[in-house]
Formats: sequence, C-alpha cells, structure tokens
Amino acid sequence: MVARRRKRAAGTSETEILSPPGYSAIPVKFSEKQQSSHYLYIRQHRVREDTKSSWPQKRTLFVLNVPPYCTEECLSRLLSPCGPVQSVELQEKPDLAESPKEPKSRFFYPKPVPGFQVAYVVFQKPGGVSAALALKGPLLVSTESHPVKSGIHKWIRDYADSVPDPEALRVEVDTFMETYDKKIAEEEAKAKEEEGVPDEEGWVKVTRRGRRPVLPRTEAASLRVLEKERRKRARKELLNFYAWQHRETKMEHLAQLRKKFEEDKQRIELMRAQRKFRPY
Amino acid sequence: MAEPDSLPVMESALEGTGKEGKKESSKKHTMAGSPVEGLLQPVKLSRAELYKEPTNEELNRLRETESLFHSSLLRLQVLLGGWVEELLKEVKLSEKKKERIDAFLREVNQRIMRVPSTPETEGCFRFLPPAQVTVVGSYLLGTCIRPDINVDVALTMPREILQDKDGLNQRYFRKRALYLAHLAHHLAQDPLFGSVRFSYTNGCHLKPSLLLRPHGKDEHLVTVRLHPCPPPDFFRPCRLLPSKNNVRSAWYRGQSPSGDGGPEPPTPYYNTWVLQDTALESHVQLLSTVLGSASGLKDGVALLKVWLRQRELDKGLGGFSGFLVSMLVAFLVSTRKIHTTMSGYQVLRSILQFLATTDLTVNGISLCFSSDPSLPALADFHQVFPVVFLDSSGRLNLCADVTASTYRQVQHEAQLSMVLLDSRADDGFQLLLMTPKPMIRAFDHILHLRPLSRLQAACHRLKLWPELQDHGGDYVSAALGPLTTLLEQGLGSRLHLLAHSRPPVSELFYTLQWDISQDPPRHRDSGVLTLGLLLRPEGLTSVLELGPEADQPEAADFRQFWGSRSELRRFQDGAIREAVVWEAASMAQKRLIPHQVVTHLLALHADIPDTCIHYTGGLLDTLIQGLKETSSTGEEALAAAVRCYDDLSRLLWGLEGLPLTVSAVQGAHPVLRYTEVFPPTPVRPAYSFYEHLQERASLLPRPDKPCPAYVEPMTVVCHLEGSGQWPQDAEAIQRVRAAFQLRLAELLTQQHGVQCQATATHTDVLKDGFVFRIRVAYQREPQILRETRSPEGMISLRDTPASLRLERDTRQLPLLTSALHGLQQQHPAFSGVARLAKRWVRAQLLGEKLTDESLDLVAAALFLHPEPFTPPSSPQVGFLRFLFLVSTFDWKNNPLIVNLNNELTVEELVEIRSVFLATRTQLPVMVIITPQDRKSSIWTQDGPSPQILQQLVILAAEALPVLEKQLMDPRGPGDIRTVFRPPLDMYDVLIRLSPRHIPRHRQAVDSPAASFCRGLLSEPGPSSLMPVLGYDPPQLYLAQLREAFGDLALFFYDQHGGEVIGVLWKPTSFQPQPLKASNTKGRMVVSRGGELVMVPNVEAILEDFAILGDGLVQAVEARSERWTV
Repeated sequence: MVARRRKRAAGTSETEILSPPGYSAIPVKFSEKQQSSHYLYIRQHRVREDTKSSWPQKRTLFVLNVPPYCTEECLSRLLSPCGPVQSVELQEKPDLAESPKEPKSRFFYPKPVPGFQVAYVVFQKPGGVSAALALKGPLLVSTESHPVKSGIHKWIRDYADSVPDPEALRVEVDTFMETYDKKIAEEEAKAKEEEGVPDEEGWVKVTRRGRRPVLPRTEAASLRVLEKERRKRARKELLNFYAWQHRETKMEHLAQLRKKFEEDKQRIELMRAQRKFRPY
Repeated sequence: MAEPDSLPVMESALEGTGKEGKKESSKKHTMAGSPVEGLLQPVKLSRAELYKEPTNEELNRLRETESLFHSSLLRLQVLLGGWVEELLKEVKLSEKKKERIDAFLREVNQRIMRVPSTPETEGCFRFLPPAQVTVVGSYLLGTCIRPDINVDVALTMPREILQDKDGLNQRYFRKRALYLAHLAHHLAQDPLFGSVRFSYTNGCHLKPSLLLRPHGKDEHLVTVRLHPCPPPDFFRPCRLLPSKNNVRSAWYRGQSPSGDGGPEPPTPYYNTWVLQDTALESHVQLLSTVLGSASGLKDGVALLKVWLRQRELDKGLGGFSGFLVSMLVAFLVSTRKIHTTMSGYQVLRSILQFLATTDLTVNGISLCFSSDPSLPALADFHQVFPVVFLDSSGRLNLCADVTASTYRQVQHEAQLSMVLLDSRADDGFQLLLMTPKPMIRAFDHILHLRPLSRLQAACHRLKLWPELQDHGGDYVSAALGPLTTLLEQGLGSRLHLLAHSRPPVSELFYTLQWDISQDPPRHRDSGVLTLGLLLRPEGLTSVLELGPEADQPEAADFRQFWGSRSELRRFQDGAIREAVVWEAASMAQKRLIPHQVVTHLLALHADIPDTCIHYTGGLLDTLIQGLKETSSTGEEALAAAVRCYDDLSRLLWGLEGLPLTVSAVQGAHPVLRYTEVFPPTPVRPAYSFYEHLQERASLLPRPDKPCPAYVEPMTVVCHLEGSGQWPQDAEAIQRVRAAFQLRLAELLTQQHGVQCQATATHTDVLKDGFVFRIRVAYQREPQILRETRSPEGMISLRDTPASLRLERDTRQLPLLTSALHGLQQQHPAFSGVARLAKRWVRAQLLGEKLTDESLDLVAAALFLHPEPFTPPSSPQVGFLRFLFLVSTFDWKNNPLIVNLNNELTVEELVEIRSVFLATRTQLPVMVIITPQDRKSSIWTQDGPSPQILQQLVILAAEALPVLEKQLMDPRGPGDIRTVFRPPLDMYDVLIRLSPRHIPRHRQAVDSPAASFCRGLLSEPGPSSLMPVLGYDPPQLYLAQLREAFGDLALFFYDQHGGEVIGVLWKPTSFQPQPLKASNTKGRMVVSRGGELVMVPNVEAILEDFAILGDGLVQAVEARSERWTV
C-alpha cells in the first residue's frame, strides 16, 4: 500500500510540482538514497511600500519549508550555482527585520534544536534570485563531496561542541561586566548631575537617591496605599444605619445562603448522576 | 490487557490534540470550553434569582441550614446526611421488588408444605412436612442490602422425626441434612425455581442450607435460604453449655466404647452450632422489637453492612456478619448508648466507636440480664472462645466462630474509621463506605497456604485432636486459631495486624455453593488459606530477635519456640542472651524477613514445608532492582548517593574565597528525594573506550563504539547570600552567576581536588564517582525577572515564563525535594512505591508526558492520605494503591491535595477546594496541590493533556485487576511483568531503535539477552577526566523529532531502555490546510477538488525519521492501514 502510494507520488512529482501562488517549488532531498522529497517554496522577497524591511528587496530570496537537517552553509552551497550568495539567515518563522548583527553569546543562548524553518537568502546580484526561481532540483543536502552529519555522528559532534571552554566564558563575562559597570556608572553620574536641577518648565524630579528618598514607584506600593485609603474610608462609613442599608445587608446574606445551598445541591446532584453512591 | 478496548478512546481522545499544540490557551479550553458533562461548575445564579423575595418556607429552610452551617463540621454532617440518604437509596430494596419477593416467598411456603412425606419404616429417616415455616433474618427486619438479597427461612422440623438423643454425635446434624436433601429432591423438579443448590450456613460444614432462586428474569432478584431447625424446647439447654461434651471420642474415632477413658473433652463449638438453630426465632423477635419502627437504627445496620462488606469482613465461617452488628445495635440500645431516634449515621458512628474502644476478647458482653444462678458465667465462655458476646438466653455465644484475628481486624478497621470521621475530611464518607478494601490492597504482604490438606498434618503436629472432634473434622478452622497465634507471636514487633481469609471461600461466590446432584465440597476444596500481614515499618529494620538471658527459665521456651534458629549471643553490654538473627543485608531483604519467620515457624511447629507457602511480598521488587543487583531494591544505592551529596554540601559550606557566602545548599534531583527509578552508581570510565579532549579534561563518546553508559548529573541548587553587590538587571545577574560558577569550579578543584567543569549556568562536579550539577542561584532573581515597567514608569510585577521557570527550579523544586526526603525518613517504603509507580508509567510510554515531580507527589499522597488504608509498608501494596488512585480519582472535580508536613489546616483545605472550583477552567486537567503550591499546580502545568491523562486512567484501570489477580493466585503470579508491557498496536508508526546506541538498554522491563560494553570498569580507575554526561541518543533524537514534527504527531518512548518509539499522528493536522506561509512545515501542496491545499508530506517525513536518527534507527514501521492522507 505504501509502495503503491509512493510510486504515485513519484509519478506526480515528475510531471508537475504544485506550489502556492506566487511561489515556485524545488524538491529537496537529504541524499541520493531517499525516494521522496520535501519541497522548498521560494519567491522573491517583497514587502509593501510602507513596511520596513532590512532585507534588500531585489536581491533577497524568501524560502519556506527548509528541512531540519539543512543548515545555513548547506543552503548557501545549494543556491550558489545561481549566483554568489551574500548571506543566508534561517529563522523559525518569517520575520522582516534582519536579526541583530551582533551574534548572541553562545554560552548564554545555546543553539535551539532546529525544526522546519524559513530562510532569507541574500544574493550579491539580483540575477541570483531569478536564477533560483528557475531551479528544477531535486537539490541534495548531503553529497559525497559535502557530507552532512546526522544522527549519532551529529550528536557526538554536538556533545563535543558543548563541552565548555571556561577561559572563553571568563573573558566574555569580564568584558560584559566591564561595559555594564561603565554604563551603570555613567547613569549614576548623570542622575547625580540632574539631582535637584529643575527642567525647563521648572519641575524638579524627586528620586530615591536624594536627601529625602521617596517610595519606589511599584504597583505593590501603590496598591498598599489604596488599601489604606479604603480602610480609612470604611471606618468612617455607617453600617446598617439607614433602613435601605439594613435591607440590603439582609438580602446579601440571603443570597449567600442561597448560593451555598445551590452549591451543595449541585454537588449531590452530580454525584447522583455519576452513580457515585453505588458502593460496589 | 485488553488493548483493543483502549483504542477507540485514544482515537477519539486525540481529536483535541491538534488544537492543543498550537496555543497554550486552547488546550485548556478543550476541556472547559463547552460545559463538559460531569464537571462541577461554579454556581451561577442570576441576580434576579439571588435577590428575589423569599417565601416563608424558603426562609425557614435557609435559616435552619444557616444555624447548622456556622461550623464547618456541622455543615459536613448535613452534607453527609444527604450522602447517607443517597447511599441507602442505592442499597435498599425498592417496594416493588419487595412485593415480588413476597409473592415468591408465599409460593415457596406452599411448595414446601406440599412435599410428600415418606412412610414410616424402622431404623430409617422419615420425612414429614415442617411444622412451621418462618421467615427470619434481615429481610424481615428490612435491613437487607443489595446486591445479593437473601431471605432466610427457618423450617421447624416436626418432633416426630427426631429422637431424644439426637443432640449427641452429630445425629441431629445428619438428620437435618437428610431433611434438606429430601426437600431438595422434590423442589428441584418444580419449574418455579431457577436453581436449587446447597450451601453451608455461615460456612459451617455440618449445617448445609438449601438455596432457592426464582425462575426466569427474577433469577438474580433473590435467594431464599432454607434452614431446618429443631422444634422449640427440643434440646435441654443445660446439655449444650460450653463445658459439656456432645461428641464422644470413641464414636468420633470409630472405636467401640470403652469404659476406661478419661473425661471427655468439651465440645463448645459443636454445642454452639446446635444452639444457633434453636435460637433463630428468639433472635429475630428480639431484633424486631428493638429495630421495629426505628428507621434510624435500620439505616444504621444497613450502613454497617456496607461498611463490613467493603472490608470483606462479613463472609465465611466466623465472619463478622450483618446479624452480629444488628445484635450489637440491640446491645447498645439496651445499654442506652444508642437511642431509637438516632439517625443512621449516628448509629454507624456509635457502633464504630464501641468497636474501637472495647475489647470483647477480655471483657465479653451479654444481652442477658437475668441473674439466674444456673446460667454459666462470662468467664466460662472466655475460657473456650476468643470473643464473647452472649445472646439474651445467656447460653449462646454469638461470636463463637469469630477468631481473635478477625475480631482484631474489625477493631482495627473501626479505629481507622473513627480517626477518619473525626478528621473532618471532606471526602470521609466516600473513603469510609465507598472504597473497597480487598485483602491484596489492604495488607502489605500476603501469603497463601496450599494445598489445604497440609493443615490436617498440621493439626496432628499441633496436637489438636479435641478441637478436630469439636469441629467435626474441619481441620482448617481447627488449625486456624493456633496457627495465627503462632505467627503473631513469631512476627512480634514486625507485625501490626494479621488477618486470614475465612473458609470456605470459592472463587466465584462469596459463599460456597454446589449443585444438589454433586458431592459436597471437602475441606481441602475450599481452595487456599490466605493470610494478610500488615507490617510495622519501625519493626522491619531489625534483623535480631532478642530473647531472654541464657540462665533465665524463659530461655528454654524461647529455644523451644525458635528451634535451631535460636543461638546464644554475647551482646555489647555483656549480657549473654538467646537470640535469633535473620540474614538480611538490604532494605528489601529486611522487608522480607517476615517470609523467613513464617516459613521457619510453620515448618518447625506445624509441619508445613515451604513448598506449600506461597509468599507474595516482594514479587514486584525485580522491576526496580539495579542492573546487576538482585538482593537490593536500590534504597542503599540511593542512600550512598545522598551521603555523597551531604559531603559535597559540607564542602560548599566550608569553601573559602567566594566573594559572597553560601546561604543554602539544596538538592533538586529525584535521586536526592529517593525517587529515581534506577539509582546512580559511581562512574568508573575505561579511558580507552572514549575519545579524549585533554585540554578541557573531558571524555567524548566515539562513533565506532556502542553508546557509553548514561550518567545523569544530580542537580544541586546553591543559594548565595543577598548583597548590594548584585546587579539589578537580569542580563547582568546572569553574567555574575556565570562568574560564580567559574569561581566555584576553581575553588573546589584547588581546595578539595575534585574534578570540576563550569558552564554559564552550572558547574559539574565529579565526586567519588557521582556527578553533581551545582546551580548557583540568587534569591531575588525571579523577582527581577518579573518586574516590568509601564510607560508611566510604574514598576509592576508580572509572572513571565522565565521567572516562573526560575522560581520552579530554584525554589519550588528544592522545597519539594527536601519534603519528600523527609517523607522517606518517616516511611521507608516511599522510595519503592514512587519508583515502581514511575517505572510503570514510563513503561507505558507515558513517562515524558507526566513530570517526575507530579508522579512523586501522587505517590506521596498514598502515604500522607492513606485513608481508608494505613500507609503502605511494602512497595507492592503501595503500587496497587497507586493504580487504584490513578484509575478512580475524579481529576475533573477534585484537586489532589498532598498535605506535606501537614502544613495545611482544615480551613485552608476548604478554601483551596472552593478556589479550585472557581478557577477550574484555568487549571490543568490534573491538579496537584501542596502547601508550597496552593493554586497553580506547577508540576502539571505543561501536561498531561486530557487525552494522555485519559489514557493513563484507562491503562491503570486495566492493569489493576490483572496484577491483583496475578498476586492473589496461590499457584504463583506467572509473568509479573505483563502489566508493565505497553500496548503497541495503537500507534501509527513504530520507530525501532538499535540497542547498541541505547545507553540504558539494560533497564528495560524485559532485560535483554545481549548486552553491550558501555565503557565502564569494575574497579575504581583514574578520575582526572570528566565522564560523558547526559548523553542519551534516544533523548536527543526525540528532541529533534518533537521540534520538527511536533505539530503533526505525538511521540511516545520509555526512557528506561525502550527499543521502540511510538508515533501517533494528530488527526487534526492531517486535515488539508489552506495555503499559508506559517503552516508549510513538512507539508506539500496538492490539488483537492481543483483547490490547492497543504497536506503533510508523509512519505518524506517517514524518511526524515530515518535520516534524523541515522545510526540509531533500525527500522521505521509505518502501519499505513491505520491512516490515509
């Protein structure tokens, strides 16, 4: 049954590969050995006039459905026949902005396990995009000249990579802390400078650091203040003084009782419905 | 297991999973979005309803409840009243059925009277129709309970067919049996009856009774039991006193009477059985005058009957029957302890209170208030019977057949129940009357004696000839008392309670029945004698039985009792004493010392060889035994790891040169709370097996070798003191922590010479072969992660995923670990139970869907809230109760409250329940509440999904009866691993893995024949390089699969050496999807009816399974018959 369906699938792939409108499809396989392939859906990267995108419009190829074993280098190699590739960026989902240039620390942000991803491929020349759109495939991720590791070999390599290098970590931490300390010192100096100095409209900012520090502006603190106010007001209020107040309290009490009564009734009703009273 | 049954449920259950994958919120909605059947909803009354004008009647009713509701205890009672009413409705007979039964009884009466009499012939038994047919017993009193309605009918035999000396030598009993046989012969031909069978009255083999059932659809409505009885005043009461003999030794032994014989031994049991027949009517009269019109008393009796039945106390010879409790009620009424206006619940309470606080084995009670000097004294009865409760005649002991053990069991149950009732628990009623307590689930160890014919020899060995004569040759009941006494004495401080099954018991019915054309069953046919041992955990730790000093006169008794096992020993205080020492090195073996004791004593004193003793106590132990261990269930290995952790924490406390001091060191790993299924062993890597990474002092796995042994570092959280030096920015704190991790590694290596490896988030430490993962934590960090600044500059605290995770890992997890560590010190069986439970859940491939912690908490609940049981003292019984809890707990409407350290008060519990009801829809399906986590149930936040929980419940419900049957099988359990093997035919795709790359392959349920070298030495080797840590290819593979295909399929795997990964497609994701950039993952575009849609590219995905697991995957089996694209 599987075999038959496989044959049928293979047949259709030869004749015509369907793709969503606006995209073209390229079959991609892990290696020669595989029978069936995934499909990369690609189109030129385009955005509306008013939206900002850091990707150069003409030279960028947008790729959907990149299989998990396909890395950035690999995609770059597969598409280089269409023209020199400037950069490849794999992302979990489409994101218009280019990721920050500064790479995140690999000590503090370990690389996530890849799933199916999307890619932005920037060619050096616009011609690369159109050449890529005309690709027929199937593309092979792992070839003899460029084998891609998977399974046991990949995990062992990952394990070796994950063995930490304490020296590098120390250097990174030290540089970070140095800049951080500098930044904090600057902020403090600035705050000190502004202390008690009125702005152009004459307002003076009161901070925690001055001679008479104030409460920090936190939600908890403001809630505490409100609560205090409420209690103060409640003390002044007269309870059950007017007839209508009396009536309302009574009604409220009755409502509570009714509610409780209904609750218990419901509980018993439910148990009855579930035949919970049958002991065996 | 009936796997096919579970299939459709899983199928239908899975329909919701598609939604669940996409959004957190929608998962919860699948359960709560629509008002689900059988879910308690918070009461919503409209404003109009709540505030409408009350009627007078409503006002009164509400006022009445209000006054009761002031204390929660009273409120509970009112609620209880409602429950009791409902329960009684369930068990009591309806009027309609009563009419049908009455009609049947009239018919029976007529038919009996019409049975023809036989002509009078000399020397032969003669049948005459009964002089009187009377209905006696609970049916008449209206206290009989469903489902098995029995109507007892007394047939008074006419005086003409009996003779003067019939009381002697079983003559009366034989005539009685013949009388019944004649009746049976005639009634069996009557088409009115669906079945006519014999049985024993209360299990007494001298007294058969005839069971009649109506024909046709009423067959299961009622059983009429016919009991022949002598005409009134036929026997002279003084002949039947407990001190009199009515079975002559000469006759019994088949010898001709010889004049020389000494005094004949008294036959108290025989006398009692005769007396029981004469008193049938007087008892029913007494009961009907007492219970008469008092419906509360009747309700009370009915409740007590349910109570007894749930505890399996009411059946068999010497059972604590419903009749006995009715008489007890009568007694308490006569002593004014119960008033006739009391409600059923109050009667139940009073009787339980009475049973719990009085001891009828010492101070018997009597319903007879006459001061007739001719009556025997209570003391006379105490001499021959273990339990004494005399009826109104003062001559019949109603509790004659009740053994001391049975009575102790009743007492024990009553005490437990009273504690439960007084604890004001919300579900006390449920636990008291609705939870069955079968022997296998109630007792720690069970032992079967089989074949029963061995007991005959035991009777001779114990010199029980007079008892045999008295019991009419019933060697089982004759031997029962002495045997239990023997074992109770031998088990001493190890034993809390010993219970026995009451013969005769058959497998199908509570009482033995047989067809009238068959021979009656013999004593040995009643199957097996089953004993249940409830152990005392504190007594289990000792391997020594200390006897008297050698020169004391008791020493001889001690030697005689223990036989060759008794030895003279000199003790540290210089005393020389007799003592018995049992061989037991590990906790598991110590738990099984009772087995040694029982085997030794039975062989020594009762001539019962160990081949006849089938001991069920540690049969499940093999499942949590280490790879090569056979004598221990891992408690010792865990303790060794914990000791090493203690050493490490001392090192950390004493570390010099850290800029901030250590404020707390807390364990956060299952090993450190004794619940890791397979405890770690010290690692001794063989360096030649690995690749070396010298510059970082690490070993690496080699692709050409099998996967190295799995070493999981044990997490330890190390809190550093708070200080102004800590930065107030999350990123910076992270860096400072990393600096501390580095510093920690440096200092530990410098000062203590241990191998360390630091990363940004933790420091791995290799100490004595154990690897610990120290995580530095800063108390205020979760707080800082929670801070968000609003545009106006206001700082508010909001939980974020990162803050919750950190809070859980550095605060909640250590707290839980230390609480459970404490629990293990109180209950030594906790470790075994928790690990068996986890082993089972993981073997069912559900281990990754339920967190470690949640399963540990469920196991803890069995110890902290054992009601109506006592905390388990053996892993076996604990595991059975785990299965029972999981399969019966109403997760929808109740939180599982685990009151660690008893921190929550009753008021808080009430509060928690009401909060739970109000917020039910936002909570996960499985809610576990602890004192540290009162609202959110953190350990079940991320799963299980409703479908997985459903599957777990189904599997547990199927496993429980199978396992219980295996354990209760006296011929041995067969294959105990049956319930641990998962059903595989429900999965759509099976991925078979190569054992070579499964590091924990040896832990599999069925331990594999072939094993691989995992690069370990048997002797301690060098320890300068860090072993390979946490490298488990199947787990790495699963992580990749879940990331890539998580929204298309679910993956199931047993982390303890599973060889197969089960894959279930999510039905919803197989629906064709519209074209969208966000759902192209793993899909392809096809044309369906001229429209372009996306469907999963299954062919390619199946090949991806093999590619991603290259080297690990052996085969991908697609069971395509189960799905189509």
